[in-house]
Amino acid sequence: MAYRVMIVDDSPSMRAFVRRVMDLSGFAVDSCLTAGNGAQGLALLEQQTVDIILTDINMPEMNGEEFLRRLEEHERYRSIPVVVISTDATENRMQRMMQLGARGYIAKPFSPEALRGELERVLGVSNA
Amino acid sequence: MPDLEVAESLLAAASDVLETMFFSSVVGEAPVSAEPFASAVGARLEFSGARAGAFAVRLTEDAARTVAANFLAEETDEPSPAQVQEVIGELANMMCGSVLSRLDRGAHFDLGTPVIVDAAALGADPEAVSRAFDIGDGEVAVFLWMDGRP
Repeated sequence: MAYRVMIVDDSPSMRAFVRRVMDLSGFAVDSCLTAGNGAQGLALLEQQTVDIILTDINMPEMNGEEFLRRLEEHERYRSIPVVVISTDATENRMQRMMQLGARGYIAKPFSPEALRGELERVLGVSNA
Repeated sequence: MPDLEVAESLLAAASDVLETMFFSSVVGEAPVSAEPFASAVGARLEFSGARAGAFAVRLTEDAARTVAANFLAEETDEPSPAQVQEVIGELANMMCGSVLSRLDRGAHFDLGTPVIVDAAALGADPEAVSRAFDIGDGEVAVFLWMDGRP
């Protein structure tokens, strides 16, 4: 199965990198939407749906925390699993983002295998 | 926390980030020169939380181009100066987050936005813990300033 993915990050190079690493890892991507912050991500979701969202935390206009809150408030969006990608690997930050509704968390730096593993865990993909 | 322990975490974090995300390997350590590189790119960000301070990275121009090209997967075209700067900002952000979480995984830190700085201003600084190393295509130096460091 191939997945519809949204990558939300204010860095164009980071968005491109994440997309490339997904391909390198063998994670099957059907389509990939990209947004520069949470507000842009929400606007895109009004037009198209996705199977999983990967989001940064520190972004202008609407950061990752507010984006997660808005997704949780929205009946149609709260079922979409969100994986946070961040430079912050501290336990406090991970717990905070999970409390806000994130289903997964991956700290930079990460390997292609680690990214695929977290995406598949969150999506409930069985490797058996 | 002893400077040696901080310096080891700094090197481990920088090596891990370079190898995992930028496909560049540390091939050897170098002394941190007091003199800035003749031609270099640098980025700096401040952090607050459990510890406050700043982190900076300085790369020779060749090293910066290689790191940016690897990150962007540019196989034929040279990355533009703007792309190089954006990637070096990302590099600084990742290295800073990685070293702080190595120093205190249970703590809370807020990282500022990386800014490109005049790399000529980044030389050996007795107030900073620093390490420099060779990545084959040039040299990288990293600097960590922490408030309250003994």
